Amino acid sequence: MPASPPSSARSNGPGLSRRRMLTATAASAAALLGAGALSGCGSALAADDDTVRLWDLFSGADGGLLNTMVDEAAPDMPGTRIERTVLEWGTPYYTKLAMASAGGRGPDVAVSHMSRLAGYAPSGLLDPWDTSLLEEFGLGREDFTDAVWQRTQFEGRTYAVPLDTHPFIVFFHPGPTADAGLLTKDGTLDTDAFSSPDSFLEAGRELAKASGGQGIAFGYVTDTAQGWRLFYGLYRQTGGRFDLPEGGPAEVDEDRMAEVIAFMAKLVDGTVNPRQLDYASGIAAFTNRQTAMILSGEWELGTYRTADKDVGAAPFPTVFGTPAVYADAHSFVLPRKPDADPGHRRRTHQAVAALLKAGQTWATAGHIPSYGPVTRTKDYRALQPQAHYVQAQEHVVLDPAVWFAGAGSDFQNAMSQVLQQALLDGLAPDRAARAMVRRLNTFLSKPSPA
Amino acid sequence: MVSTDVTARPAAPVLPRASAAARPRRGTNLTLGESGLARVLALLALAVSAVLWLLPLAWALLTAFKSEQDASDPVDWFWPKHGWTLDGFTTVVERGALPLWMLNSLLIAGAVTAVTVLVSAMAGYAFSRTLFAGRRGLFALTVAAVLVPPQMLIVPWFQQMLTLGIADTYAAVILPQTVAPVMVFILKKHFDSLPRELEEAARIDGAGHWRIFWSVLLPLSRPMLAAVAIFVFIGAWNNFLWPFVSTSDPALMTLPVGITSVKDAYGVQYAQTMASAVLAALPLVAVFVFFQRHIVKSVATTGLGGQ
Amino acid sequence: MSSPHASPRTAPPVRRFLPPGLLFALPFLVLFGVFMVWPLAQGLWMSLTDASFSAHAPAFVGLDNFTEAFGDAEMWRGLWHTVWFTLLSTVPLVLVALGMALLVHTGLPGQWVWRLAFFAPYLLPVGVVSLLWIWLYQPDLGLYNHLLRAVGLDGVAWLSDESVAMYAIVLATLWWTVGFNFLLFLAALQAVPDHLYEAAAIDGAGAWRRLWSITLPQLGRITAVVTVLQILASLKVFEQVYLLTKGGPDNSTRPILEYMYDVGFTGYRLGYASAISYIFFVLVLLASAVQIVALRRKEK
Repeated sequence: MPASPPSSARSNGPGLSRRRMLTATAASAAALLGAGALSGCGSALAADDDTVRLWDLFSGADGGLLNTMVDEAAPDMPGTRIERTVLEWGTPYYTKLAMASAGGRGPDVAVSHMSRLAGYAPSGLLDPWDTSLLEEFGLGREDFTDAVWQRTQFEGRTYAVPLDTHPFIVFFHPGPTADAGLLTKDGTLDTDAFSSPDSFLEAGRELAKASGGQGIAFGYVTDTAQGWRLFYGLYRQTGGRFDLPEGGPAEVDEDRMAEVIAFMAKLVDGTVNPRQLDYASGIAAFTNRQTAMILSGEWELGTYRTADKDVGAAPFPTVFGTPAVYADAHSFVLPRKPDADPGHRRRTHQAVAALLKAGQTWATAGHIPSYGPVTRTKDYRALQPQAHYVQAQEHVVLDPAVWFAGAGSDFQNAMSQVLQQALLDGLAPDRAARAMVRRLNTFLSKPSPA
Repeated sequence: MVSTDVTARPAAPVLPRASAAARPRRGTNLTLGESGLARVLALLALAVSAVLWLLPLAWALLTAFKSEQDASDPVDWFWPKHGWTLDGFTTVVERGALPLWMLNSLLIAGAVTAVTVLVSAMAGYAFSRTLFAGRRGLFALTVAAVLVPPQMLIVPWFQQMLTLGIADTYAAVILPQTVAPVMVFILKKHFDSLPRELEEAARIDGAGHWRIFWSVLLPLSRPMLAAVAIFVFIGAWNNFLWPFVSTSDPALMTLPVGITSVKDAYGVQYAQTMASAVLAALPLVAVFVFFQRHIVKSVATTGLGGQ
Repeated sequence: MSSPHASPRTAPPVRRFLPPGLLFALPFLVLFGVFMVWPLAQGLWMSLTDASFSAHAPAFVGLDNFTEAFGDAEMWRGLWHTVWFTLLSTVPLVLVALGMALLVHTGLPGQWVWRLAFFAPYLLPVGVVSLLWIWLYQPDLGLYNHLLRAVGLDGVAWLSDESVAMYAIVLATLWWTVGFNFLLFLAALQAVPDHLYEAAAIDGAGAWRRLWSITLPQLGRITAVVTVLQILASLKVFEQVYLLTKGGPDNSTRPILEYMYDVGFTGYRLGYASAISYIFFVLVLLASAVQIVALRRKEK
């Protein structure tokens, strides 16, 4: 069989000089490799004693602020350097974190949404914090609200140090909102005017009139979480059950779910509020004042304030009777390290405590610092509009504490997709509720990895 | 032995003439005839498709040399209002880990190539020139393994790296990539095709297997080895899935993994993103520009056995 | 002088050197055993357990994972997306490559440029390809929507519209990998003997006649082989989908391999993921078997 000879045998004149060039390239590549291996080690082993390696998912404005916080925290952690790695936010972040933890070679400390703890701590992917060490560096149990602290616990141990709460709230342009008669005398939102589905929709009509365009923006199309954020906060306001026993089936109130979905669909039906906004166009509609109000996470505060320096904010109004505000919380966790050096762990505790105390900086982005001493300061109370929604953290509801839920999870995505069908494609509310329950049961039927 | 058909047969008829590039105009009259119209139409079609194919690359270059502000200008989206700049490049080089990832890629692809070529050539020699118990069975197993898609192994590989205690190290990225049954097969066929006279002479001179392999067969096989090496290198340089799964430490990431997983603390910056894409694309494209003929040949000889 | 005493049934004549050649094969065999045979076996074993990321020891669960997989709508969806992608991508990847090769083979000036243009994308790492195409497809600022708007059309939500996303992925894949098949065709074209064309020229056959009666018939075999290789490559789709859409919107583009990845590493269920990987393996084996039979028939 005449396999390859024709081509291989015919390596003639010019080929030789080329080959020499190849050799030269290979040689220089080899030289580079030497350097690469060295510098690779330099960075990989940057786990020098004084360096705390932190993984986080903050880019954009938050990313810049965390850099500032790291600088500000320096005096509280003498001799310690924090080396940040910013990874892509969302599912991939948690996948990478879990994989690194499984290998025991993760970073020293990582930022995690508190809503993801249920999937992490029971699996042994995290190490617990040493509360007495934290205490030594000035972080005690009493510095955090009950609603937040309770979510850090698993089997009696503390697996997260909460950095902030970031609720889903409402922002408004004060001018048109006042014209619509929806502000109280002290300039805060008159939440009574939003206290039932009908009055909420009526307020939207007033806002539309006042803004000269439309009323309330909500960007959710193709988003992997927005629909769920709005839905779950509202559903918890109905007082309906949302119990997810292992193995299923979900114990939920389908009628109330349908009621909430029907309300959401009316809210974005395009009559007074814009229809069919995706996340970015929702923000755009509000910032260029096409609408007077937006339903949004507080983390967009920076964006809104750039467009309107007086932008107002309020906790999400109680539409269905029981106060509840959908939120999540960023927290610090310790990825599993079977052979962690106690000295270095101590340094990590100190660094995290130092970062928390620099929380005032973090608050400028809109997040509510979890560390109580920060929110009790005069400086914090002077922050507008942050101080207007700080009480949201008394009634926060996070995702259900099941392993498959939480920020960036497939679960949130699945729920948001069903909701989109109801809001955009006209799927009837009761059928949407049933579809959500079906998907919930699919998740529940999968065995927990723990 | 099922797979031999798929991989073995194509080799023969498709080899490019080494000299093809030397006389590029060879076919014009032969394939197009004397018709001027046919020639114009063909040229037009070529030009249009080349433009379509180069457009994405041109767009990336265009963006990479803009300021962030101009890159995200929805109105003046083509020509930058504030002129051209190298800011994107300097930022990603200074602030990012890009140079490090590039070295990682080079190191990892280089190591994968070196190990794969050597080990496969030795195995090819063993299967072609020696006899030992189980040789045919082992070769059949090797050929059958061509059918195993490496993607299906990532879960057990991941588990294995934990077991071996080498998770998140260079070794974990490199070692699984060095198993290339296809290359063993290609090189075995290649050795089969080499005449034996020279070895006979060497053997009479008392040369052992190693000397015959190293001093007689390998020098004869340089073009083939180069073809295999180029192919393996391109594959390893561009490999994504396993390096992505096996590295968590950003300092160990390869270029394709790093630029897609690690973000900048300052948000999505299109000019910077394209600058890093351009830098990441540059090495192999540059190599291609200089060694087009070698690479073309490598793909043509090795490619059909590959995949 | 080939050896007279070659072992009776092997095709290549074999020298009976006494020192065991096993030593030569050993490095490969060790790597092969450790990183191919062992993982294959371990994967099979894991598929019969509830292995996960967590600390607890995996328990044997028999065929539960497979039973679950066969009743898992998402698994079937993933399988379908893989097959759908393969169907959508193989045809253009073969035909466009063939067209490019035919055009370049005409020997028109600019050979070097054509080859560079068509083949260069293949040399880009998938990470670069995806960053580039995310930017090209960007709804507000991307090139393609700029061009659409320039001619008065509406922009397209390339990667976030369920009815478009898969085609957008196929388009990016076509751009990225067509150069490989192009080179294979080009090499085959160069092997078509000149004298066939010369004879045709004497007969006065025009360009079309030469294409239909000489060139294409000569390419029958290579076309079959390229198609086979392309189908096998397309079945393994994962990376560009993962990087472009993460399998979305609403998992409408997620291929089976990404489902395996998601189940294993995002859902921590390594045992179930292993079962899915074996289902994928069976798909690949089936495709190979069908193709081998088809090719063989064609040969006859």
